[in-house]
Amino acid sequence: MTVSITVAVIAPSLLNTNGDAENAQVLARRARWGGAEAVVVPVEHPDDLPPDPDAIVIGSGSDADLEAARDLLLAIHDELRVAATRGVPILAVGTGLELLSWGIEHDDNTVTEGLGLVAGRAVANTARVSDDIVVASPRFGRLVGFENHARAYVGAEGSPLGRVAYGVGNGRDSSQEGVVMGEVIGTHLHGPLLAKNPAMADHLLASMFTRLGAGYVAGERAVEADKHAARARAAILERLGQTAD
Amino acid sequence: MRYAPAILVGRSVRTLARLRKPGGGSAVPGLVVNRIAPGYLAHALNSFAGGLVIVSGSSGKSTTTKMLVAALRAHGRSVFTNPSTANISQGLTSALLEEADLSGRIARDIAVLEMDEGHGALIAPQLSPRVVALTNVMVDQIDRFHDPEMVAGMLARIAHRATGTVVVNADDAHLVELAEALHDRVQFLRFGVTTEVLDRSRHGLGHARQSEERLPAADGVLVTAVDGRLATLSVDGFEHTINLPARGVHYATDAAAALATAKAVLGEAFDAGVACAAIGAIPPVFGRGEVVSIDGQNVEFVLVQNPASFQLNIDTVDTDAPKLFAIGSDVRDPSYFWPVDTSALGSVDIVSGSKAAELALQLAYDDVRIGRVEDDLARAIDDFLAAPPPSRGMKTIIFSADSMRRTRAHLGLTADTEVVS
Repeated sequence: MTVSITVAVIAPSLLNTNGDAENAQVLARRARWGGAEAVVVPVEHPDDLPPDPDAIVIGSGSDADLEAARDLLLAIHDELRVAATRGVPILAVGTGLELLSWGIEHDDNTVTEGLGLVAGRAVANTARVSDDIVVASPRFGRLVGFENHARAYVGAEGSPLGRVAYGVGNGRDSSQEGVVMGEVIGTHLHGPLLAKNPAMADHLLASMFTRLGAGYVAGERAVEADKHAARARAAILERLGQTAD
Repeated sequence: MRYAPAILVGRSVRTLARLRKPGGGSAVPGLVVNRIAPGYLAHALNSFAGGLVIVSGSSGKSTTTKMLVAALRAHGRSVFTNPSTANISQGLTSALLEEADLSGRIARDIAVLEMDEGHGALIAPQLSPRVVALTNVMVDQIDRFHDPEMVAGMLARIAHRATGTVVVNADDAHLVELAEALHDRVQFLRFGVTTEVLDRSRHGLGHARQSEERLPAADGVLVTAVDGRLATLSVDGFEHTINLPARGVHYATDAAAALATAKAVLGEAFDAGVACAAIGAIPPVFGRGEVVSIDGQNVEFVLVQNPASFQLNIDTVDTDAPKLFAIGSDVRDPSYFWPVDTSALGSVDIVSGSKAAELALQLAYDDVRIGRVEDDLARAIDDFLAAPPPSRGMKTIIFSADSMRRTRAHLGLTADTEVVS
């Protein structure tokens, strides 16, 4: 029987500034390359949310769209919580992570309430961070990416995604990046991080396939794509003076 | 007046989109109207008095559509046609809204639509085209659609909706079989090339599977000779000379497809002389960009600067053209390019520039076939230009601003002529 995968991507019209929503396509492609059927369902309205998604991707947007994105997330709050409890992978990037947290503290002392799905909150930082980032993650190996965020993140010290080898990450001298709770992953690594870090993509896919009672093996074309990823990573690591993969 | 509210909303959205971004926001009204009135698109397309014509196939559909529209207009017909876009449903609805009255109707005789085989198969079940013209099933694009059988299946789904005539390429075995399966339901018109023309085309015709037999001259529209940009076509047993928009037997075949389709649409009113003159008058086809002559060969330059220009410019690149694509150090982190759908490129012969690996990664995830990745841009350019000239299309170099400067410097082109994009 063919495995059929549904990836929900939340509000790509608002939360795709850096191409983070495309991680949904990365999961779907790799699933197809691994022999499954896969669709990406954009969720711009609560009714768009498919009944039992196999993965959920929430990208990053601008502060002007924070409230609208939060309101959509609030409307599907129960479904997100149930999915998280069931072990459905949820990848939240930048603003997406901030909205899943306890909340966002703004410079003017106002607060945007979050969903409280993961530990921590976004707080003011001294300066915007916009640079490469390298993270050593116990679960996913070395993560290479780019961070671009104005706020720091506190309260994730108990379960970070990994330790910062280059860059800022959660900031406030924590030397940590992101937050992980079960299969819910929040990170500042923006853009197509799953394409550039295929070990993480395949971890999520393995968990998605397992939930459906199937096994996941990366397809031939994924192996081909991963060669480009390896070269892209090597170029970045060399530029940053980091040891090669 | 079922669709009047949706059309009014669509018009307001268009006005708002243009206030926010003059000249822009073209797909947004379509997105909105498709959401609030999902039946509108099919309703409008099915409401033309002279019927709906769909042109699809792996390759040449854009040129065939342009030629067909020119031929129909030369016969005094008022034609609605679509700009080729990545998202056909939104783009089409937006284009229809430009002309629709409040009941949703367009005051034109005929609609001629170019349809991507994938998108076409998706919206076909709602459409009732009078004529469906199918150009070919090519191996070129199988990386997008996995295999030729899948493409043939999509085209069959579109052809199945025809109420009057299906026009097919007689040299394409997939299309001939498809036509035979529909034999008792619709009429058929065929086009093709002669044995002489086939023998003289060095790289063949490119069909995934070529028919064993050539079409007899009495049975349709036949390409009987091609010499540079001049072609001779036999229509109903009479020979006509026609000016092609570019060199090559593929363009002559596109002209044959357009003539056969115009004949199917116009019936008794069809005048081959009028149609040939109109097709011969359409301007040469180039994508957006600048055409530069380097050592006697024409090369097209296409600049991509931001996601919007990236999408717009690559959508007009000829899928069949050989391509070099280079992104340089001016793009610090290419993440923001990922929302761009590059799948329409089909294939890229050489990926280069200092961000070559990152670009190759995006292309790979869009199922674009990659010839090779060459980090050294100068070497990539030299190899690309040294490759034999293509049978169809023009060598095309797509680049970011930094790679453009390096390319021009390497080729000794003056820096003061900026690329028009």
